[in-house]
Amino acid sequence: MAADNRYEEEEVRTDDGSPITKPRPIVRLGIFLVAHSPVFSVVFSAAGVLALLLLPLLAKNTYISENALMPGSARSMLSNRDASDGSKLVKDIKNFRLNHEGQGVEVQRLIGKYMSEMVAEVYYQKFQPEGNQFHPLHFFSGPASYTLLRNVSCASYGVNVVGIIRAPRGDGKESIVLVTPYDFINGGDYEDLSLGVVSSLFSLLSRVTWLSKDIIWLVADSRYGDYRPVAAWLAEYHTPSFKVSDQLKCDELNTADNFRRAGTVAAALVLKVDGRSERFEDILSIYADASNGQMPNLDLINVVNYLAVHRQGFHVKVEKVVSLLSSSWLKIVGEIFEAVGKVAHTLNPDWKFGIPAAEYIEGSATLASSLYSQAFGIPTGPHGAFRDYQVDAITLKISPGFPPDSKARQHDFFLRGSQLLEGTIRSVNNLLEKFHQSFFLYLLTSPSKFISVGVYMIAFALLVASLPMVAASLYVDGCKALTKSTHNSAENFKSWKWLDAAKQVFALHLLGFIVTLLPYFICQVPGQHSPRNRSIMWGTTSSLLLVTFVTIPGCSPFSSRLHGTNWAILKSVTISAAFIGLCLMSIINFATAEIGALLLVPTCLLAQPIKPALRSRRVKSLLGAFCSMVLVTIGFPVIFFAITKGLVGEGLVGLSLGGEFWTWLESLWAWKSATYLYIGMVHLPCWLLCVCILFHPS
Amino acid sequence: MKEKKKDDGEMAEELEKNSYRFWIWSIASMIFRFCIILFPENINLSSRPELSTPLTSLCRLAEGYWLKQASMSPYSGSMYHGSPLLLSLLGPLTVHGIEGQWNHHLCSLVFVVSDILSAVLLRATGQQLEKAYRLNLRRLGLLKASRDRGILPCGDIAALVYLWNPFTILSCVGLSTSPIENLAVIVSLYGAVTRKQLFERRVPLAAFGLIMATHLSLYPATLVIPLIFLLGYGLDAPPRKLFLQTRDREGEPGQDKLTRTTQLPFLWKTVLHFVFWVLVWSIYVLVLCSLSLKQYGGLEEMFKRTYGFILNIEDLSPNIGVFWYFFAEAFDFSRNYFLIVFQIYMFLSILLPLARRLKHRPCFIAFVYLAFSSILKSYPSVGDAALYLSLWALFVNELTDMKHSFFIFCGYIGFSLLSPVMHNLWIWRGTGNANFYYANAMGYACFQFMFVEESVSAMLNHDQALKKATAEMTKN
Repeated sequence: MAADNRYEEEEVRTDDGSPITKPRPIVRLGIFLVAHSPVFSVVFSAAGVLALLLLPLLAKNTYISENALMPGSARSMLSNRDASDGSKLVKDIKNFRLNHEGQGVEVQRLIGKYMSEMVAEVYYQKFQPEGNQFHPLHFFSGPASYTLLRNVSCASYGVNVVGIIRAPRGDGKESIVLVTPYDFINGGDYEDLSLGVVSSLFSLLSRVTWLSKDIIWLVADSRYGDYRPVAAWLAEYHTPSFKVSDQLKCDELNTADNFRRAGTVAAALVLKVDGRSERFEDILSIYADASNGQMPNLDLINVVNYLAVHRQGFHVKVEKVVSLLSSSWLKIVGEIFEAVGKVAHTLNPDWKFGIPAAEYIEGSATLASSLYSQAFGIPTGPHGAFRDYQVDAITLKISPGFPPDSKARQHDFFLRGSQLLEGTIRSVNNLLEKFHQSFFLYLLTSPSKFISVGVYMIAFALLVASLPMVAASLYVDGCKALTKSTHNSAENFKSWKWLDAAKQVFALHLLGFIVTLLPYFICQVPGQHSPRNRSIMWGTTSSLLLVTFVTIPGCSPFSSRLHGTNWAILKSVTISAAFIGLCLMSIINFATAEIGALLLVPTCLLAQPIKPALRSRRVKSLLGAFCSMVLVTIGFPVIFFAITKGLVGEGLVGLSLGGEFWTWLESLWAWKSATYLYIGMVHLPCWLLCVCILFHPS
Repeated sequence: MKEKKKDDGEMAEELEKNSYRFWIWSIASMIFRFCIILFPENINLSSRPELSTPLTSLCRLAEGYWLKQASMSPYSGSMYHGSPLLLSLLGPLTVHGIEGQWNHHLCSLVFVVSDILSAVLLRATGQQLEKAYRLNLRRLGLLKASRDRGILPCGDIAALVYLWNPFTILSCVGLSTSPIENLAVIVSLYGAVTRKQLFERRVPLAAFGLIMATHLSLYPATLVIPLIFLLGYGLDAPPRKLFLQTRDREGEPGQDKLTRTTQLPFLWKTVLHFVFWVLVWSIYVLVLCSLSLKQYGGLEEMFKRTYGFILNIEDLSPNIGVFWYFFAEAFDFSRNYFLIVFQIYMFLSILLPLARRLKHRPCFIAFVYLAFSSILKSYPSVGDAALYLSLWALFVNELTDMKHSFFIFCGYIGFSLLSPVMHNLWIWRGTGNANFYYANAMGYACFQFMFVEESVSAMLNHDQALKKATAEMTKN
């Protein structure tokens, strides 16, 4: 951007006819790029899409970056006795369940008793399940600044059980957290298994001498979701509230005043066991995405993956978009790349970038899922709560390959599961500093392959590179046109012609900001409303606002007839705004920016007034107008949402769409996703401006 | 003659309409500020490093006031580094309110009032400058009376730019004391530009503004050069050579009076008057300070803790300036060397050459100095940018041909939005580091430099164009 606008000004100067010295080569290159911007914008955009498709090929194998971790170098100390401890806990819980139906508190006591038998410090923490709150702007502040003190009802609260083992070699300044989400009222057989695994490990850790970081075992009450109890515990852990909570009054368990802490959390592992796998072997799924596309340090995933694959023989996988696996176009692309790779290999045996088509498809499906969950900005599990406190955490979800009542294999499962956790904890235990060696910004294409930020940014950079070029060339064109049409204004304000257009762009961005904040007020409307009604309310208010804005003279793009604003300048300013917005978003959340750029860049580039195109009746211009109409239609957030739903396989078009969309957005702002801000404050205004350019009365 | 009268009537009407519009907009800006202040959601602007620096943070001021109330030196610890006068002025407003939180609404009210006051003074200054601009063009014969519609009311524009600049609004509601510092600077310019009667300037006011601004943030001390030029040579005008040319052309006796006024000599008397008042005010301020700090180490302590703090760059917490990171990284043994180099750089390479080149445009020099000090300050905040951007708007008539305006505008917007994002990435997410935030600060500084550079070159080009036009007229 920087360079380009400079060159464009350079061009203006040449038009004046004043003698200038021969510009430097880089300036001439810039002028060349700007002068041929249509060609280059097509080339760059195509290259951007191609680079995105190439990403699975460019994935590197993961490696352990931090030397101190040394995974798997120590022999496991876990014995059969520890595993049978775990089995005993599971059996006790099952028996207890049979005898006392629906008494959650008693189960918590039972777990607490087991923990204290293993010489752990035990306490219970109460928390309040939180409703959906509208706080999208909290994205910019730290986690501590939104502890809300609200009325507390005794009717519903959850209780976390926490046990702490103090490290014999530590100074109590660091800790490692193990989390097992557990529904105390109606937990299934598989959930019991996760308790069994961790309690086997806990029984070992209470005896070992090598521990230098305290171990915290958090049994999170997952009646109100997995995330909320962990977030509540973390909030209490990091920001103690000195007010006496009302919760203490309504009480069966004595939780007052005994919240214990154990220093900075170095890493956290969430263990979940659910459902039986389709295969015979046990499957370990790794979930790592936290809010707003943040990922834990890659080393943590590497350690777990290494131990699980090479030591314990789990089948490790990460999430993928299943519908992509069977898509035929992806298969064709994969085969083309494979063929190209083979040809390149025959030309020079050192070139090894081709991968088999099947692997490519697998990688793309995983990459798509990785992109999707990062763009969504919603954490994929309770580990997301840790990321808000800069703690690296992942969720390990194990699907055992045996029925829950198979005793023999259960014992073996406990042994292997807790050995995996033991190895990971041992590695983290070795760390002297925070995780910092490896990547924080990456996309996974398989559990052992990743694409780092330096590679995936190229695709985005190519995609948006055309924006400043086109903006500069349009600016020059617009200035020329204005100078021709109005001689008076040409004398004055030679370089301030963009002010009118900037005013209009600003007005629409302001509108976008207001529309973004509207749900806050809609949620305050008294009475129960269905999501559909709320979305209708939102839609009507927004359109009313839009109409008001359009009628205000001066800031409406449609009133430009009076000012004689050129649409080219309006488009140039729009593109600049889109460019700034996309670049900002790419720093906040790359995946959102990438998907947003795929939508917004072609829309912005192709937007042109359709009136002259219709008048000219030439095939080329008609085609252009048609394309831009289609792009603008797809670009509208609601329609894009519907199309994505349709692609994923949940075909729905109709009245329920508004409600679904509302629910989706609600989930976005409830999780403080920056994607919501992006949609409201960058995408929507730019989309509106493109519509304005389409119907520009020129 | 009749035509001219009609024109004047129309102009008066338009002027009235303009002032009516100005007041509506300024009241709207006031309401907007109050809305943000009373907005229930606590966005916690006062903790943003872009808004409140160690010098301007009101939280620190409250701390200093508390220390003083507890009979300790307000400078003990390293919390407060501002003026002791500001402490007595704003301190009582920061005392504990009912809910245990200090009552920031009263302070905000003070800041809003000072913003409005600054805008009004800016407007008056701008009107004076506009008048001078018109007069000069007429003298050069470049402007016919009927055609001066194209001249913009730069006073109104500057005042509105000041009031509606997001930077000003943020620093006003973000509880930093920069609105008061800005007010002091604008007061000094106002005093030097406007006149009480025909020839009598408001010299004491100018001196008072200068001394207060220097006392509050030290860097406005550089304004002494433009102020002396202003008082000595008069308002901004095209280079004097042009007038001489015009006089040669029109060697008629009727023009004698005009030519005499264009040949204004350096008014030593006014300047001495100004120097006298500067001395008076500085002694006055020093006496007040020493009285207020009598038990706590007196003036020496104040100099060490305020000006010493500014010049030594002791606080290296992140801000939007370019020094904190550098001095965090620099080795201890080279620290003094770099300190001296950086602080002197401003004087040697910027102040003096510019003063020589642009001495016929003292107000513009003031803008350039303020812009440079806002870039190279030890603890800059967006409040400083707000000040020089509105001073820049005083010269819209001269700077219509500024180059790269759109590009610079985009850069300002991009970098100001990027700053909180980088800060978030570094402080809250932990995925970025200090380099990210510092890179943003450097980019911002680059754009500021570019802005100043383009403004200065546009101003020089403007003078050049005037010269060309007069030369052509002389030929004809």
